Parts: sequence; structure tokens; C-alpha cells
Amino acid sequence: MPRSLWNGTVAFGLVRVPVKLHSATESKKISFRERHSTDGAAIEHRRVCVKEGREVPYSELVKGYEVSSGSYVVLSKEELAVADGPEAHVVEIEHFVDAAEIDPVYYESAYHLSPGKFGEEPYRLLHAALQRSNRVGIGRFVFHNKSHLAAIRALEDAIALHTMRFADEIVPEGEVELGESAPKAPTKLEVDTAELLIAQLDSSFEADAFHDTYRDALMAVIERKARGEAIEAPGTEPVTRENDLLATLEASIKAAGGGKRRSSTPNKTSSTKRAAPAKEAASTKRPRKPTRTRGGH
Amino acid sequence: MARSLWTGSLSFGLVNVPVTLQSAVRNRDLHFNQMHAPDGSPIETRRVCAHEDREVEWGEIVKGYELDDGRWVLLSDADLAAAAPRKSRTIDIERFVEEREIDPIYLHRPYLLVPSDEAAARAYALLGEAMRRSGKVALGRFVMHAKEHLVSIGPRGKLLTLTTMRFHDEVRSSAPIAEALEAAQAPGDEQIDNAMAIIAELEVPFEPTRYKDHHREHLEAVIKRKSKGQKIKVARPEKKQSKPTPTAPDLMGALEQSLARIRGENGAQAKGAKKRKKTPARAPRSSGSRSSRG
Repeated sequence: MPRSLWNGTVAFGLVRVPVKLHSATESKKISFRERHSTDGAAIEHRRVCVKEGREVPYSELVKGYEVSSGSYVVLSKEELAVADGPEAHVVEIEHFVDAAEIDPVYYESAYHLSPGKFGEEPYRLLHAALQRSNRVGIGRFVFHNKSHLAAIRALEDAIALHTMRFADEIVPEGEVELGESAPKAPTKLEVDTAELLIAQLDSSFEADAFHDTYRDALMAVIERKARGEAIEAPGTEPVTRENDLLATLEASIKAAGGGKRRSSTPNKTSSTKRAAPAKEAASTKRPRKPTRTRGGH
Repeated sequence: MARSLWTGSLSFGLVNVPVTLQSAVRNRDLHFNQMHAPDGSPIETRRVCAHEDREVEWGEIVKGYELDDGRWVLLSDADLAAAAPRKSRTIDIERFVEEREIDPIYLHRPYLLVPSDEAAARAYALLGEAMRRSGKVALGRFVMHAKEHLVSIGPRGKLLTLTTMRFHDEVRSSAPIAEALEAAQAPGDEQIDNAMAIIAELEVPFEPTRYKDHHREHLEAVIKRKSKGQKIKVARPEKKQSKPTPTAPDLMGALEQSLARIRGENGAQAKGAKKRKKTPARAPRSSGSRSSRG
């Protein structure tokens, strides 16, 4: 089990579930460090006091909020903690909602909850009740000096907690300036035809059907460069524009319907896995290669 | 107007829709600067070459990757670009799926797609309308910030949202937690029924505007008071022994008391509250389409 990031309690009604929070995800992105191009040396980040021009140790740092240009209010850790309030250690479930009503734009980070001390029984009870009712608990808690809205839901065998964005953190549709390019209503025939194309590409979501091919390609570039090979920049492909939307849709359906010979379609490069219809993708699913990643970052 | 983060085109069959990408969310956190405690001066971070011990310009910094043997490979932006697929300026829609099949654990960051011009707007609106009617979202891939992303694209109001997603091997297994639970006693039917009764009593439609960021408000208040020169009362750390030692909970007792309390509260409030509920708690999950949302 990964290290716990937060220890606290999930409360629903008077039932208290001691829990630990663990990240449910881990980035497999290839990580780089900054190096100096001329001599290849490591780059150090030094914190320097602007007034004194000297490097300062971490222990001499505090947080400052700029109230007006150049004027700061300095807060100590204890003063910052004043704002944490009682939510710092408890996620109080305020409501339960139907998961289907939650717009995915609200989901922020995903965590697993594990039971804390004496938490196993209430944990199993909460899990069973969430699973059977098919509902998601909504509450708030403070984590890392920041308040989070949280959604608590049952996975198959454990409870997940998602931090959620607050409503004022979502960009309202009305603020997006479409200007000249405000969408025009499509004709019924166009929509029907587009729906046909969607049906052709219809599939079920299988997360493991997608592999990060870019990660592999980047690793290959690193290995070639390590051998001293020259890396050539790729050419860019021009994007073609079509004037007749309906004709293009119909041509797409024909191309997709021809199915097996997708690589011969005029506007596509020969990438076998791209745009493969569901059945093909399932049968050509590649065995997962172990990914090389750097440890300990 | 919000900054566009990427410009390219959305490719759906043979249809190409020129679009720009902008963030669908904005961070409302209060931003703090690092300050030097003794003199209250701002702190600057300087990038210094460890070998030469001098500050270096941005232009002299490259990405380094450490090989297993301790050697470093230095990569320029052009090297990184070489790893990107040829079509680095298109979002290729590969397939369509039911939105509810995508576990929210896979969702990473939401963006808005905006059509680039009038001609694009027609195809854009068409794709949105067709997805809304079929109740599906699109899955595709594209390259942004020198990284390939798996994305889902779905209609949201008049716009299309694009959400970057995690790859399968970036999602951790919950199996170790399940194993840790195996030894614990399974809840009884009566307990589960009571817990579900609590859920039913607390059930509401999801209305995100109901939840305010109290912490941000408290923090703003603390800053305001401090800026006026007022003293901030810092709670003394409580002595450890005042905390009750955790004991095994009386679950059934807690459940029954909770129900009595919630029902008492709800009864005292408007009677119509319960009638607002759209679906009973046991109802099967409805197929959620984004079209019905804001």
C-alpha cells in the first residue's frame, strides 16, 4: 500500500470511520532534471533573499500574501492553521447524491481510503451501504492547507475519495467567447449521418486497450541519443479542410465501413491502432510491455 | 478571453475541425509568496550551475535524463519533438463509448474546445449534437506539452469538453486495501439497512453551488485582520492525553442514534423536502449524459 497522505475520519451521521488517504494514481511520465547545456552540470535552485542577496535556509521561510503591490502580509504556519478549522481531520458527509448527476468536470484527484485504527468494521459497513445504494457521499475537508470538496464512493473492493472542484472554479460557459465562430445548428441529415459514424466507431471502454506509446517513443529517443545518434526533427503534416461537411461524413462512413482497409483511406496515415473499430482493437490488443521508468522520483 | 493553450484540429472520420483548447477550470486558491522571516523580504529562486557556481539563463537549461549507469543524456526541445507522433496538431477520435463506463479515477484535467472559425463552428456543433443524441463520448489521443494524452471528449452545454485521462498503468490497485479488510467482520443486514436509511435521508440532487470553500473565506479573513495589524489568536496545541483513546465503535448504536437525529431534524424542517427526491436510493444508475448539465 502506498504511503498515507492524510489520516482522519469519515463521518456519516454519528458513525465515524477512521481512515487513511492514499493516492489512487501515479504518474508514469518520464521525468527529467534540469541540466546546464554548456557543461551538463546539475542545476540547483537556490532561495535567495532579495534584500540581502544571500541564500537563506528553509527554516527562515514564511508565507506572504501580497495585499497590494510590494506590500505583504506574512503568516506563520500556526496562523495559517487557524483557517483550517475543524474540517482538518474529519470529512463530514453532508449529502448523498446519484453519481450520474456529477458532471465529470468537478473531479480533481483520486485517492483510495484504507481503514485506520478500529476502522475496519465501519469501513466495511460504509462500503456495503454505498455499493448497495449506488450513491456517492459529498463532504468537505482540509488537506494540505486547502479545503476540498470530496466525493466518497464505493469501488469493487474498497472506498475511493475524489477531491472535487468548487463550483466557482469551473469556467462558466457564458465566459467562453465564441464570437464569429458561434456554433451554427447542423441540419437533421448531417446529425443523422454523424450519428451513423459514431455508431460505427462505437466501443466499450477498456482502459488497458490504451498504451502510452509516446512514453515508449521518448524512451527510444533517449536511448538513441545515449548511443550518440543524431535525432532528426519530424516533419509536420498539413491538415486538410473540407467544404462539404455531409459529403465528408459520408466518405468517412464508407472508409470506416470498409473497415479492414483503413490504412488506405485518403486522409489518414497508416497507423494500425488509430481509429481501429472496437472489435479489431480487441483482437489486436498488444501484450503490455513493461515500461521503463525512473525509480524514486 | 481565456488564453488558448493549444491550437490544432479535431479529427472525426475524415472531418477536420480547427479548434483551440483552453482550461475548463481556474484555480481560486489564495496565492502565497515565500518570504524571508527575519526581514520580511521576498524570496527569489535562482537557477545556479552546480559546477560553475553561477546563475544561468533559461536558454542554457536543457532536460537531462539519468541512465542506469549514472550517465546523463541531455535532450533539447527538438529531441523531444522527435518522439511525438507525426500528427502532433490533431486530436484523433478513435472510438466512442458510454460516458458512465469511464471510471472517474481515469479523469485528469478538463479543458474546453473552442472552434477556430465559422466554418469550424458548423462541424463542431454537428459533432456535439451527434454525441448528445447518441449519448456517447469520444476517446482519442493528442500531443500537448511534449506529451501524448489519452482524452475523452463530450458535449457540455453548447461546448465540447476535452478531459485528459490517465493510462491504465497509472491507476493503482485497491487490492491491498481489500486484503487488509478481509479479517474484519462483515456488516450484518440490519446494519446495512440502517446505513442505507441514513443515505436515503441525506440524499439530494447534486448542486455544486451549495458547497462553498469555507477555508478560503477563513484564510481571507485571517489575512485581512493581520493586514490591519490585529493579532491572530493561535489555538494552543491540545495536550495529547485529553484525546480519548480510540475504542472499537458501537456501530449499531451509532446508526440508530443517527437515524433518530436525522429524522428528527428533517421532520422539523419543511415537509416537502423528501418529496423533492427524484429517485429512490435503490434505483439503478441512470445513463448520465452531459447534455442535461449546465
